[in-house]
Amino acid sequence: MAEWEYHPPPDIDESMAEHLRNFPRQPYMLMYAIRSIAALLLRGWMRVYHRLRIVGVENLPESGSFILVCNHTSHLDTLCMLCSMPLTKIHRTFPAAAADYFFSSLPRSAVSAILINALPFDRKIKGAESLTVCSQLLGNDGNVLIIFPEGTRTTTGELNRFRSGIGRLVVDTRLPVVPCHLDGGLKAWPKGKLLPRPYRLKLRIGTPVSYQHLDKSSESVQRICHDLQSRVADLGRIDE
Amino acid sequence: MMTIDLALHSDIYLTYLAIVGGILGFAGSVLGIMSAIGKDVSSIWKTYRGWLIMIPLVMGTIFLGRTAVIIGVALLAIFGFKEFARATGLYDDWWLTGLVYLGIVALATASFVVDPRLNYPGWYGLFMALPVYVVGAIVLIPIIRNRAKGQLQQVALAIVGFVYFGWMFSHLGFLANSQYAYGYLLYLVLAVEINDIAAFTFGKLFGKHKLRENISPNKTIEGSIGAICVSLIIPWLLWFSFPHFEPWHLVLTGLIVGVGGQLGDLVISFIKRDIGIKDMGAIIEGHGGILDRVDSMIFVVPIFFHVMRWIHGIR
Repeated sequence: MAEWEYHPPPDIDESMAEHLRNFPRQPYMLMYAIRSIAALLLRGWMRVYHRLRIVGVENLPESGSFILVCNHTSHLDTLCMLCSMPLTKIHRTFPAAAADYFFSSLPRSAVSAILINALPFDRKIKGAESLTVCSQLLGNDGNVLIIFPEGTRTTTGELNRFRSGIGRLVVDTRLPVVPCHLDGGLKAWPKGKLLPRPYRLKLRIGTPVSYQHLDKSSESVQRICHDLQSRVADLGRIDE
Repeated sequence: MMTIDLALHSDIYLTYLAIVGGILGFAGSVLGIMSAIGKDVSSIWKTYRGWLIMIPLVMGTIFLGRTAVIIGVALLAIFGFKEFARATGLYDDWWLTGLVYLGIVALATASFVVDPRLNYPGWYGLFMALPVYVVGAIVLIPIIRNRAKGQLQQVALAIVGFVYFGWMFSHLGFLANSQYAYGYLLYLVLAVEINDIAAFTFGKLFGKHKLRENISPNKTIEGSIGAICVSLIIPWLLWFSFPHFEPWHLVLTGLIVGVGGQLGDLVISFIKRDIGIKDMGAIIEGHGGILDRVDSMIFVVPIFFHVMRWIHGIR
């Protein structure tokens, strides 16, 4: 009789905390169920409490992997971006989240991993390693990555300089990058405040760009960062 | 019927509370003394800390009463089956996994509801008939999906998962309907764990001859015999748990726990060895997964249940 093949998952010896912190995470039914319910509740809350308007949903690519980049004024940015994705895609949409903040404790890891489906991004020591994880993720067709190239939340409302990571990730690839701009986040939930306030939010989704025509050099990376930064800034200016 | 009020007035529950409290305290002080005189006990400490979490959980659940016990057993069965499903790769098949989950929920429901004909809590007939329906539903899945490749393995794993880890283990929840629930539940949990520890200890002290070297190389015949001896003594010490038992029932009970407990252990061992993993999970630090902890119960509980039901009736 031929032998059966078993496929135990690689994370079988990990504790709960490691399950949540490590990436890529194995799929769990309970996690998916909780995340789906949370996404529905989140949509309701954003519509009612923040009267979120999303402009340009039609710009989101319908298939394939892509990256969403956005200005970073508050935690609401991530939540709004998640609301712009179709519900069927939320389990394959990964906001890159600072590992030192969002995965610093067990409760935080649980919220980040289960509800937000965050990808732990090491912005301090292992930045290059985290980028590799990101590009592997995007190599699987149909995954969506949400990145805030500023690296941290702005306190002034000014768009900070885009870090080079996003450039290094997309240079010389076919990956579409979708620039987005969220308006109202700073007022609704400034850095340091415990809870968001009921201000209006507006998410504007721009047209996708890709940078396969550029070669892998530091100049190209800089050019991409500048280009994306001005695209996000332009989206923000439309309403003014 | 088990309730909080009854637990507070149950001599059996309170005695067991004192016994496990005493054992925990005694073991803790022994460990404390050992580490004070410079022995390395760090790995035993981990195991002990695990007990410090698990014992209050078990005692608390039994304290809360029948509903809590049935829900608690169902959760253990679900998460235990999940470990099995993940280890074997069955978990990739969400239809079959979900179906077994539903089956376990159905078992808990059957343990909980009132028997419509006999009018007392716990629908025995449905509980015993459920494997027919769940296995029937499991073998339907490939037909619904119109797929044959690899389906025998998936279906077989799901059936083993449901019948062994779900149905056999869920008998523990059904025991909560007995009028001797406190005695039966507490005796089973305590005796099975003592049997495990006895097998380990006797094996360490006197172990020479391997019991089943291709399955679990650390188990020895000496450990096994020692554990059976201890398990044969325990029911006499805990006779107050089941005052209606005659002496030969005590012998029978001891044998069920002593032999069944070790067989349950070996079952999980051969499953793990065939898959090629060391533990079924890592949810309890120092103990491994849920199945590594309740493995002996899975074998003991249904046999105890049916033998005692045959002699005394389960109510």
